[in-house]
Amino acid sequence: MKMDLEQLRKTAAEVAAREDVKYLIGWKQGTYGYRVAPGFIADAAGAAELIFSPLCTANLATYLTLVEQLPVPRGQEPDDRKVAVMVKGCDSRAVTQLLVEKGVEREEVIVIGCPCPGVVDPVLLAEKYPETEEPVEMKWDGEDFLLIRGDEETKIGRDELLAEKCRLCRYPNPVVSDIMLGEEVQTWELAEDRGVQELEGKGVDERSEYWAEQFDKCVRCYSCRNVCPLCYCQDCILDRLNPTWVNRSVNFSENTAFNIARAFHLAGRCIECGECERVCPANIPLGKLNRKLAREIRDKYDFEPGVDPEAEPFQASFKPDDPEDFIL
Amino acid sequence: MSAMLLNKEKWPEFVEKLAGKNILAPQADGDAMRFAAVAEGDVPALDYNNTRVPPKGALFPQTETMLKFQAGGEQVEEPQLDRETVVLGLRPCDARAMTIVEKLFKWDIDDPYYVRRRDLSTLVGLVCNEPGMNCFCPSVGGGPASTEGLDLLMTDLGEKYLFEAVTDKGEALLSETRDLMEEADGNVAKEKEKLVSEAEQKIKRTVDTEGVAEGLPGLWDDPLWQKVSASCLGCGTCTYLCPTCHCFDIQDETEGFDARRLRTWDSCMFDEYSLHTSGHNPRPTRKERTRNRISHKYSYYVDKFDVIACVGCGRCTNLCPVNIDIIETIRQVKEAL
Repeated sequence: MKMDLEQLRKTAAEVAAREDVKYLIGWKQGTYGYRVAPGFIADAAGAAELIFSPLCTANLATYLTLVEQLPVPRGQEPDDRKVAVMVKGCDSRAVTQLLVEKGVEREEVIVIGCPCPGVVDPVLLAEKYPETEEPVEMKWDGEDFLLIRGDEETKIGRDELLAEKCRLCRYPNPVVSDIMLGEEVQTWELAEDRGVQELEGKGVDERSEYWAEQFDKCVRCYSCRNVCPLCYCQDCILDRLNPTWVNRSVNFSENTAFNIARAFHLAGRCIECGECERVCPANIPLGKLNRKLAREIRDKYDFEPGVDPEAEPFQASFKPDDPEDFIL
Repeated sequence: MSAMLLNKEKWPEFVEKLAGKNILAPQADGDAMRFAAVAEGDVPALDYNNTRVPPKGALFPQTETMLKFQAGGEQVEEPQLDRETVVLGLRPCDARAMTIVEKLFKWDIDDPYYVRRRDLSTLVGLVCNEPGMNCFCPSVGGGPASTEGLDLLMTDLGEKYLFEAVTDKGEALLSETRDLMEEADGNVAKEKEKLVSEAEQKIKRTVDTEGVAEGLPGLWDDPLWQKVSASCLGCGTCTYLCPTCHCFDIQDETEGFDARRLRTWDSCMFDEYSLHTSGHNPRPTRKERTRNRISHKYSYYVDKFDVIACVGCGRCTNLCPVNIDIIETIRQVKEAL
């Protein structure tokens, strides 16, 4: 890992201090243990708390569309300064897809790219190395991870803790950026997507039973939707009351309607950052569901979202020579 | 009240004795745990820290059918609640939370659903030998062996479980299963005391609530709320996983001509929660919603019912996707006072 923190903080301080920048969103040490929290940096001094480490799993691109836009009071001008955001490879694909969909405009954002050798799976980490109340630091160390607690340093093999999304990652280097920090990282040999393969190996009934069991656990907190950088409809069907597309009652049928609707709306748009699965308090393997659809789109339509800012949005493009005539 | 010992080898027999009742117990689900109905013949294992989703649904289900009717019809049918329930192995914090929630559900008029479910339930708690990372129950009036809200308290003594009746209902359950047990002698109390004091030592995080309840309303316009809520995603994790959060929504839903009125959990972190029919929302952003969530727990509830509506279970902090940490939030509140 060739990026040092000093360089990161210096760059961030310069960006945050710019007059045309509202704030910079980066990662900072969390309140305890392995936690990392999103940091909203409004001035140069704030940049001193930023970090970039194997614990920075969160995809901060979600904040680009999460801002609540209240009506501007009479006599005031809207604040249309830029927002700067730090992105890993996967996160940058979300920014790219947002640009494709015109969810954000290019001139509204400053993208600070962080080439990423892969982050850890926080659940695996806490299982193998129990969390402490003291904040813990982690670094990339050649091929491995280095866990630092006070004076004690523990070297941990990459394979032991690497997050699943990273095992499957083909874009560790940001695909869009205004400023790139550090050096590009080499791509690595991809693991098989065992989760999806396992599902594909099941019969229809077995698969249906599997998902029934999973969706039954859903508590409908909508953390998957809210954390998703590409779930940003201002008028989400889940919130609609008139008509009510998805009932408020929590049961298998409504939970399935919700989860399947979300998966379909993400087909050809999901950039596989894995945030939905990471935040799900009910442990639903949402990554498998979304990756399966992403794979279908890739194999059948030769399309991959979030890699080319000039691309046509998959679900909103039409070819005059489309072999299916039903669409006309 | 009796104190009895059950050899762990007899635990399956104990569970079997409860057959016929609806038994809810923590069950493994991947690397998480959740309370679920125990299938006949199954024996739940109680070696767990705590469930992600609290057992509050035992008394306050996420979806409660209030009545059923036919669209256009004139008859309504009220579901009958009559099955006895035993909640096995809930943690003292979650039982204590039920006493807090009950203050609201028994406030001006009794809430028939909550009260009925509580009457039908026997709550069998389990002392926390291994508190979790973000547990802070002693700071808000609880403890790893608190009996508040419980009918019966179990302690894991290694080879045996100690059962101590707290209420007559607990005593009754004990008498149903007494033949599997032996009387606890004086040494057991000492053994338990040692375990509990060790557990208390393991709780590292604390919250200082002095002056918070009185001071919070004065912080209405404080910049702290912007700071705390900046990273909030506006999801319902903190509220749905909170054992004391009790807000609900009432909806009529139809399926063909079959209609039902039901109430579901609601979350003050959702935009829809405070949205008026007019389209106006008095809590338009996550800043106002966060302020409300914290103030409700640590001030409004104290004002109304004389108890903090937080039991220090740590779930909101454990599972917040963006590390909004209630311990840190209260620390910042204290700082702003």
